[in-house]
Amino acid sequence: MTVSLIFIPILLVILLNIPRLSGKTAYYVALAFFAYQLIAIFIPTFGSVQLAEVVNKLFRLNVYADGISKIMLISAAIVAFTALMTSKSFVKHDSRLFSLSNLMLLAVAGINGIVFARDIFTVYVFIEVIAAASYIMIVLDKTESSLEGGFKYFIISSIATVMMLFSVALFFLVAGGTGFEEISAAVHNFGGNTIILLAIMLFVSGLLIKGGLIPFHAWLPGAYSSAPAGVSIFLGGIVTKTTGTFALIRFFYSVVGFNDNIKMVLLIVGSVSVVAGAVAAITQKDFKKVLAYSSISQVGYIVMAIGAGTAFGIAAAVFHIFNHAIFKSLLFLNAAAVEKQTGRLDVDSFGGLGAKMPVTSATTAIAFLSAAGFPPLSGFWSKLFIIIALWSANYKGFALVAILAGILTMAYFLNLQKKVFFGEVSPNVENVKEAPLSFTVPAVVLCAITILAGIGFYYIIKTLIFPAVGII
Amino acid sequence: MSYEALMLFKLYLITAPVLFVIGIYAIIVTRNIISMIIGLEIMTKGVTILLAAAGFFNGRPHLMEPLIITMIVIEVVILMIAAGYIINIAKKHNSLDVENIKNIKG
Repeated sequence: MTVSLIFIPILLVILLNIPRLSGKTAYYVALAFFAYQLIAIFIPTFGSVQLAEVVNKLFRLNVYADGISKIMLISAAIVAFTALMTSKSFVKHDSRLFSLSNLMLLAVAGINGIVFARDIFTVYVFIEVIAAASYIMIVLDKTESSLEGGFKYFIISSIATVMMLFSVALFFLVAGGTGFEEISAAVHNFGGNTIILLAIMLFVSGLLIKGGLIPFHAWLPGAYSSAPAGVSIFLGGIVTKTTGTFALIRFFYSVVGFNDNIKMVLLIVGSVSVVAGAVAAITQKDFKKVLAYSSISQVGYIVMAIGAGTAFGIAAAVFHIFNHAIFKSLLFLNAAAVEKQTGRLDVDSFGGLGAKMPVTSATTAIAFLSAAGFPPLSGFWSKLFIIIALWSANYKGFALVAILAGILTMAYFLNLQKKVFFGEVSPNVENVKEAPLSFTVPAVVLCAITILAGIGFYYIIKTLIFPAVGII
Repeated sequence: MSYEALMLFKLYLITAPVLFVIGIYAIIVTRNIISMIIGLEIMTKGVTILLAAAGFFNGRPHLMEPLIITMIVIEVVILMIAAGYIINIAKKHNSLDVENIKNIKG
């Protein structure tokens, strides 16, 4: 499973380009691959054993899958599938669809690569693969605002990757290799060494920039809100979560381990992001920007959970990554549906859209409630776990921040829901119809996943999440 | 590590951060988007020197060589994307000034 999920997409990209096929073919091939990934996670031997043998003869790859990887792979497959499906109705030219399908395949190969990596340099390489694909995807429409947002993203995230490379060099200097085991051993042997501390600091700063946490968030709202509709689903749903928070989990949980200072840094950065992201979201006027700031706030929750430093905290963080991937892609999907039907995203110009687009309105409301932590939706359970993890790790003040920030989350989402979907029908949206099936069907499916994951949360944590972090 | 090697190593360890800081400074003060990319390149060169030095002083240059080559390949790809951005921004605004791309507020 491990090797094939990295190599099949790269192979597909090569096959699609030599000879160059049509955009429609590329689109269906990419969708088929994302579906295959979802199946391959549950049936690991599904058509991949033979390929793995061939690849292992040609390359020496240091890859390995564990429980946390599975959850990331499921999220990646679902989000990528939805994102590509949504993009199709926005893309006019066949060649644009072709580029988008190829880039998304490459980005998913990168995500799978990070998830399987057992080597800090491999993590860097795949982060660059994802970043390169997303730089291009953001500006596919070549609008003025997307060039701006994309260029900002480009500069800031390139600085982040250079910082990470710097720390790879320092780790190599001390450990004599870049594998996780070597680095882990080096950290245990000379933990207080200045070079090691500097390396950890640089690597973590790089990951925090990539994840868009608050002191480093300047690129995120511009890039998310100016990207084409389908690409914002992909970016908001999975890209920053993999390159930022998942790599952070891997780095701390499997490589360097926790100590009190590291925990404090993560908790403070996380709680500042939770509060400031939510406050900034209240004041925004653009639908997608509200979602972008809410993304910062939710990533803050994940980082706080990692900062608890316990296995339970990691479990909570992983569960929240999964839930966030689902409800944030649902929200961006509905933003795309609104944009498609009305041609605008300015929150104040709507009103009463709920009567015109009942499915979009209802699914958005459920996603909001899940994000704000309403029982029995899935977001409630992961937030509850985060709070329990913080409380039981004796960070009671931070647990309180996490609880109170839930009210802020509710505030900006209610504000948005009221302005866009409820109230009197505004003259701007008189003739609007419900979005086509290509929007409503994925929305209903994602909505069902949110509800079912909430009701069946016990099954999910018992079979997927607790075994992944070694509880039970 | 002998004393001379240690001194030599310190020289590298000073050079790399200096190049890094020069790059960051260039990105912050410049008003031209091409200069920003050049600043980024200066940073990357600093890191390349550090990578090479780390391989040499650890006594495993053969392990470091493939890493540096991979890194250079990635760097070229990223530069190509940067070139694409610059061409499109220049076409849209007919200038390379950073002021043109400051309309979005974070």
